[in-house]
Amino acid sequence: MQTKTNKLSITSYLNFAQLLEVYRGNHEENRLFALKYKSPDKKPIKMLLLWAKEYRFHLTQGLNSKAFVAYIGTTTQLLAFLFLLTGFLTGLGLLSYSGDAPVNITYYLFFAMIVPLLSMLVSLFTMFSRGGVAEFFSLFLSLHWLDKLVSFLPLESKKTFSKEVLLPDELTKWMMIERMQRISLLFSIGLVMALIFVVVVKDIAFGWSTTLDISVNSFHSFISTIALFWKDILPSAVPSLELIEISQYFRLGERLDKELVANANQLGAWWQFLAMATVFYAIVLRFIFWIFSYYGYQKILHKELLSLDGVTTLLREFSTPFVSTEATQGEKHLEIVKEDNLQVQNFMRKSYPNILGWNFSKDEILLANDSKEITYSTVASVGGSNTFLEDENKAKSISKTALLYVKSWEPPTMDFVDFLELLIENKKVDTIHIYPLGTVGRYYESDAKDISIWKRKIQGLKSEKVWIIDD
Amino acid sequence: MIDIVNDKYSYPKFAVVGHPNKGKSSIVSSLALDDSVQIGDTPGTTQVKRGFPLTVDSKVIYELFDTPGFQRARRILSWLKEQEPVSADKRPKVVARFIDEHREDKRYLDEIELLEPIINGAGIIYVVDASKPYGPEYEVEMEILRWTGQPSMAILNLIGNEDYRDEWKMALGQYFRLVRTFNPVKAIFSDHMGLLESMAQLKEEWTVSIKVAIGILNNLHQQKVEQSVHAIVSNIQSTLSYVYVQEIKAEKATKEEQKSAKEKYRQEIMAQEKKMEKEIEFIWNHRSIGKVENLVIFEDIGLFSKESASIFGLSENELIITGASAGAVGGLSIDAAFGGNTLFLASIFGGIIGGVGAMVGFGNLYEVKILGKNLGKRELTVGPMKNLNFPYILLGRSLYHASIVAKRSHALRENIELEDEEFFTEQIIDSDTRKKLEKLHVKLRKGDEPSSEMIEEYHKIVLQSFLRLLR
Ligand SMILES: Nc1nc2c(ncn2[C@@H]2O[C@H](COP(=O)(O)OP(=O)(O)OP(=O)(O)O)[C@@H](O)[C@H]2O)c(=O)[nH]1
Ligand SMILES: [Mg+2]
Repeated sequence: MQTKTNKLSITSYLNFAQLLEVYRGNHEENRLFALKYKSPDKKPIKMLLLWAKEYRFHLTQGLNSKAFVAYIGTTTQLLAFLFLLTGFLTGLGLLSYSGDAPVNITYYLFFAMIVPLLSMLVSLFTMFSRGGVAEFFSLFLSLHWLDKLVSFLPLESKKTFSKEVLLPDELTKWMMIERMQRISLLFSIGLVMALIFVVVVKDIAFGWSTTLDISVNSFHSFISTIALFWKDILPSAVPSLELIEISQYFRLGERLDKELVANANQLGAWWQFLAMATVFYAIVLRFIFWIFSYYGYQKILHKELLSLDGVTTLLREFSTPFVSTEATQGEKHLEIVKEDNLQVQNFMRKSYPNILGWNFSKDEILLANDSKEITYSTVASVGGSNTFLEDENKAKSISKTALLYVKSWEPPTMDFVDFLELLIENKKVDTIHIYPLGTVGRYYESDAKDISIWKRKIQGLKSEKVWIIDD
Repeated sequence: MIDIVNDKYSYPKFAVVGHPNKGKSSIVSSLALDDSVQIGDTPGTTQVKRGFPLTVDSKVIYELFDTPGFQRARRILSWLKEQEPVSADKRPKVVARFIDEHREDKRYLDEIELLEPIINGAGIIYVVDASKPYGPEYEVEMEILRWTGQPSMAILNLIGNEDYRDEWKMALGQYFRLVRTFNPVKAIFSDHMGLLESMAQLKEEWTVSIKVAIGILNNLHQQKVEQSVHAIVSNIQSTLSYVYVQEIKAEKATKEEQKSAKEKYRQEIMAQEKKMEKEIEFIWNHRSIGKVENLVIFEDIGLFSKESASIFGLSENELIITGASAGAVGGLSIDAAFGGNTLFLASIFGGIIGGVGAMVGFGNLYEVKILGKNLGKRELTVGPMKNLNFPYILLGRSLYHASIVAKRSHALRENIELEDEEFFTEQIIDSDTRKKLEKLHVKLRKGDEPSSEMIEEYHKIVLQSFLRLLR
């Protein structure tokens, strides 16, 4: 059973359920929260309620629980008052004594003992049945009928929550049972109050009578059985055989037994027994029942809270370390320039005065020339393991037209662009043809994708001297 | 002033560096399970370094850095060499001085971005594209990296179709202790772990941290698998028991009402499937999959289509065997086994679907009932799903989608093609598993609440199938 610290109310349940509808956080936040409260693995309900408190501000449209709790509270209070009053009035009615005939204790016992016991039995059946059977038993619960009655009344508050608040059947059942016990308790208290009141303000003669053929002795043993629970503590509240004998009466017209009248002063002694019977059967027993139903209600409340949609995830997030592998800050995305093919030629000349190879060795350049059947006057390797100074000198010494081999698969680096700018700045050079070559393995054939990277880069330089060869 | 941090207690850091456009960002993206990284054809896509820490509850275990590619490596090396000659142990200080002195120099933005984390203690992961031939121009970069004095390894990425790994290994082996092949696009979880194992060897002090990281990532992976299975099973549960309810005015539902109710029923189920798929993509950190058109080609194939049934569903024979063995058909006619789509039923609901469609068709998967005549409120209800085949289709699709998402590299930016048709039913659900699964299907079909043990059992089976697909 739950400890007191874990007491859960229908309000917290409803608020929590409503919060889950609009907000569940994410793993990172929820784990952080759990770590803040240090006991991420312990007492799930407590953690959940703390969580709900922390994030309650997400519930901006007002709480559904308010109207519901107000409604259920009012109904219960109303009923409680009615029951107390009914108990008291029933008591008064049962004990009404005109002096003509004694008050029949069997009537009283019926309401103070048999009715409560029967109602507890119904509650018991309701508790341990489910679905349709439980529904059947709940028909015997007065709260059920009152609820039905109220639902026909045009109450504003009822309308607002009936759409939002959907309690699970089991929970509704236990909530009703628990309230039923409290209310019934009040009925019995009313009864006892009436008894004490009547005993104080009047002198009452009690008697018993029955049409059944019951001997005084068996009635005595019946009464003693009822009084079994308090006969040691309060012997005066156990009617003696003598009392039982003198208080039996028969209603024959207006006439009362002479003996009864003669002993009238002793007949009041029954009241202690009646008070104890009410206290024990209708109050103490009911109280125990109420405690029991209260724990049952708490248990179901816990269970239903834990089975709300999203709770499993929440609890898992509390107890599982949050692992992140992603970048912490965003990325400024690069804008991709479109190519427009302005500086592209799809043929080469047959002969070039200067042939340069960027990141190619001299041998590689010669091999390419051979394969492409190009004649030349000078060839030079640039980039690669050459030094800057060497490259700079080569760039300066060139004139007219230059063919520049590049590796198509290697995107142009700024190092290359620097070199190209030297060539562009060289006034003697009028045309630069850049020829991206594929790998030898593929007979210098390049991927269109690679060529397009080169095109875009060269286009960005905005120089009329530079052309890309794409054959 | 940057000082060279050799803090033994700080977490390991790794800078992924290399030439532009060789897949540095792709590698980081796949290792960090982050699909938001910009990856592109254009060299210089990455312009500033970006950290990708692996954190557990905000505690950093290691951090990866994506960096821009080398742009002016030659200039830097020549600057380094121009400085007063120093002994090898002082070289890192020279590199640090280079960074300090060139912060304002726009020409070295990229290099400073890439060298800074290394000088701050990050290990080097040098990326090359080994589908292209080796060139001596790379030696400049490797030499600079050698000057930093940090532990380093090289990754051979194969972007194209050719394979020059042998020549690369010869060259890289002289500069790097470890050379590994890693393809960020194809890599699955076990490849990641393999790469991490190598990274753990780079520096003694890092080994423990990286082993811890491997443990964490393994755990995370398992959690993701679990969560995916959970999402799949919950969706199956809610879909199979889903009932669409619509109020109707007249005594009987009109043809239009029936048609629209069935349509709404289907749409809701499809929406649930979509939602589940989104959830799974979220679990596996694929946030931007939505931007990819038709991640899996089967998005074109509707859940209720003939194609889906023939790819993911059971064959006619399997259906009969499954149905009979699970006692699902029982006294019912063969109608149920064939999805209630014999001529008789088909004619009632209109629209006769011919050929294969009739066998596994989706014309009458579900019962249409009219309820509540005596309450004065008539309701047309569609569902729960009566077609025996449907749960298998749904499960097959879900598992397939989940496995694609789970295996998908975060470096991928394109869609994936559907594999051979026979692949599914055979691999995902064999006849043995089918019998076990059918138990739950029967229960849900009847609209009964299944026990938690039953769901757990189902869970286990789905988990096994999922793990099989992940291999
Ligand atoms: N097919 C295939 N393509 C790849 C692979 N790795 C990278 N790519 C492609 O190569 C191109 C460059 O990839 P990125 O990851 O952006 O390269 P990077 O080194 O970060 O480039 P920068 O940031 O520009 O220096 C992209 O078009 C990728 O799709 C691979 O393993 N296989
Ligand atoms: Mg990049």
